[in-house]
Amino acid sequence: MRTIPTASPSASPSTNKRRRKIDAVSIASFIALVVTTFLMLLPLFFMVSTSLKSKKELLKFPPTFLPDSWQWSNYKEIFETLNFGQMYMNSLIIGTLTVVGTLLSSALAAYGFARYRGKGSNLWFMLMLSTMMLPYPAIMIPQFILFSKLNWIDTFLPLIVPAFFGSAYNIFLLRQFFSTLPDELFDAGRMDGCSELRMWWRIALPLSGPALATVAIFAFIYSWNDLLTPVLYLSSSDKFTLPVGMSSFTSSRFRIPPWHLLMVASVLAMLPIVTLFAIAQKRFVEGIVLTGIK
Amino acid sequence: MKNRRIKKTYALLLAFSMLVVLALSGCTGGKSAGEVAPEGKGDSGGSSGEQVTITHYTMDSEDRTFIEKLVPDFEAKHPNIKVRIEKAPYEQFDSKLQTLIAGGKSPDVTSHYGYGGFAEYFNKDMLLDMNDIIKEDGFKASDYSIPDDLMDIYTIKDHVYGIPVNMYVTLMLYNKDMFDAANVPYPPSDYEDKSWTFDKMVEEAKKMTHVSDDIAKTQYGVDFTWSERDMRPLYFGVEPYSQDTWTNGGVPSETHFDSPEVIATYNKLFDLILKDKVSPTTEWSKSVAGQNGDAFVTGKVGMTVSGSWSLAGSNDFPFEVGVAAVPAGGNDKIRSVLFVDPLFILKGSKHPKEAFEWIKYLVSEEVQEKSIDLSGGNPPVNTKAAEAYYKHFEGIDPEDVKKVYEGAVKYGFESYNHLITNYSQINDMFINEMQPIDTGHKTVEEVMPTIQKKVTEIIKR
Repeated sequence: MRTIPTASPSASPSTNKRRRKIDAVSIASFIALVVTTFLMLLPLFFMVSTSLKSKKELLKFPPTFLPDSWQWSNYKEIFETLNFGQMYMNSLIIGTLTVVGTLLSSALAAYGFARYRGKGSNLWFMLMLSTMMLPYPAIMIPQFILFSKLNWIDTFLPLIVPAFFGSAYNIFLLRQFFSTLPDELFDAGRMDGCSELRMWWRIALPLSGPALATVAIFAFIYSWNDLLTPVLYLSSSDKFTLPVGMSSFTSSRFRIPPWHLLMVASVLAMLPIVTLFAIAQKRFVEGIVLTGIK
Repeated sequence: MKNRRIKKTYALLLAFSMLVVLALSGCTGGKSAGEVAPEGKGDSGGSSGEQVTITHYTMDSEDRTFIEKLVPDFEAKHPNIKVRIEKAPYEQFDSKLQTLIAGGKSPDVTSHYGYGGFAEYFNKDMLLDMNDIIKEDGFKASDYSIPDDLMDIYTIKDHVYGIPVNMYVTLMLYNKDMFDAANVPYPPSDYEDKSWTFDKMVEEAKKMTHVSDDIAKTQYGVDFTWSERDMRPLYFGVEPYSQDTWTNGGVPSETHFDSPEVIATYNKLFDLILKDKVSPTTEWSKSVAGQNGDAFVTGKVGMTVSGSWSLAGSNDFPFEVGVAAVPAGGNDKIRSVLFVDPLFILKGSKHPKEAFEWIKYLVSEEVQEKSIDLSGGNPPVNTKAAEAYYKHFEGIDPEDVKKVYEGAVKYGFESYNHLITNYSQINDMFINEMQPIDTGHKTVEEVMPTIQKKVTEIIKR
């Protein structure tokens, strides 16, 4: 009994002290975070500022922070010199369909792996995982021959259709998520006469928002940034995607690359990814945390 | 217990299946590349009556894709031939070409615009021997004003494998503003002016060099990037590759990179950076001009020796530019490196005759002249069209460009990167191995024996 009153007066200043200490630490870490944020934003800042510089100003040394004269016309120029609008559209079409395809096919395959135990299901799963170890250059030529026999060269099909056949990484990710869903839900569904496919659509998918958002973002970013596949399969300029078009800026070994236009293109190319991330951020982060635990 | 055994079996099965999958994929890749490539060989196809489509595969950059603008005119003149231009960025140029060939979709006409040079294509057996077509067609290089010695570059043992289309030379560009500020007279454009030597260049460079702790105030006199690193001994009259290299398709029987003569030449070049300090280090160049940038364009370097493609961008430089002869370095015969870009017909072409018509069109005088403006300054191989090229550059005296070009051809040698097999690997190795010399961590004497050993290995591959 005696110890409690003696302990409590001495405890309260110590907690106060501790609280103050925590405050000092958090202020320091806050400052550190702000500084780091600025450091991280610096390249982004230079990207935007360079996109507004004139051709002559690009070569200035030391480089200027802000453009001497703001060349908003750069943003117009890129649509005129390069078939930029068309390329943007192409990339969006391919990216969106890739996301749809990846989500549907990977989720379906993952659902099967997560919910059904059959003979050798583990073996099939591991076989599927082993396809992750195949580097793209190894399948590049056989795949090209296949699509060329199907007469799909110079169409978007070789870039979209494979997405509808699942990808090992995403199947793995979704399977891990699906296996955490409680069996009771599915038993209840079965009792009410729900078909297996309907359970996938009505129970498994709606509960897997974070995982699906993660897969969608991964698939979109991959497709949006992919350069080699479109280079291989697309040959008419009006079918080119953004990375293919943008690489033509720096392709020449003979010229000073038009950095200002390249930066305009980069700023514009970044927008869909930033938007997508902003929309899905909450779920995306949840998804990473959840899959991180597994 | 039982569970564990099952797990073990699965693990074994898994390992086995992965091996099989990997092995299979490896096989298909290699096999198809080799097997499918010769398809269509000897199939000269497409008689002049029916319409055929040929594909010209090129690099996706303005100075290459301008040929798209020539297609309508060509098709109007040759109603039976349609031309399709297919393009890829520099980095992916070789992978796409390999894939197209292996996939049985070989283009008809192309050049070595990727990492691989002529020797690499030739040794991979990708190129069509044009002798029969030339004979049937009656093509004579002289009718197209293509000098014979340029034709010889892509002729191996009397078989023609490529028709030259553009000719870049090595020249000196100088920053007139920096020369004026330092009160130094401009260097001569005449190759016969024998007072213009390497040593004199170093002397003048010293007058323009200011090294300061403030990076913005630092400037250098000269950046001497004569060809790629392995070719530089030739500038001083020392040949690192044996003579048979140039006659047997780019496979040297011997190299001499560790000989005292070669080492002496490299020491002379590295002295520019390390002893005389008139040339920038690679780090400095990167810091002012970016990863692959050219420090000269920032206006911080007085003279640069480089390929004439730098000239194409000169109208945009933020200072006045002049052109001059490459100074004499002790080699009486060779002072300039030529970069002659040819057009090849690939073995997989199904319409080689029509492809040859297209090539002839591209090297004709009228088209070569038109191409200078369309491409933004590509140097023609046709000597008659060259006159128009000399006049193309704002603020640079056409007489100077002409003298520099004519001198370069007279004292020129084709760049090793087009002539030696596995060149991209040799070049990468040189860049990596010589890096420590540049930073002062190793001496030329320490590095050259390793380079000699590695070159020998790469050539044997």
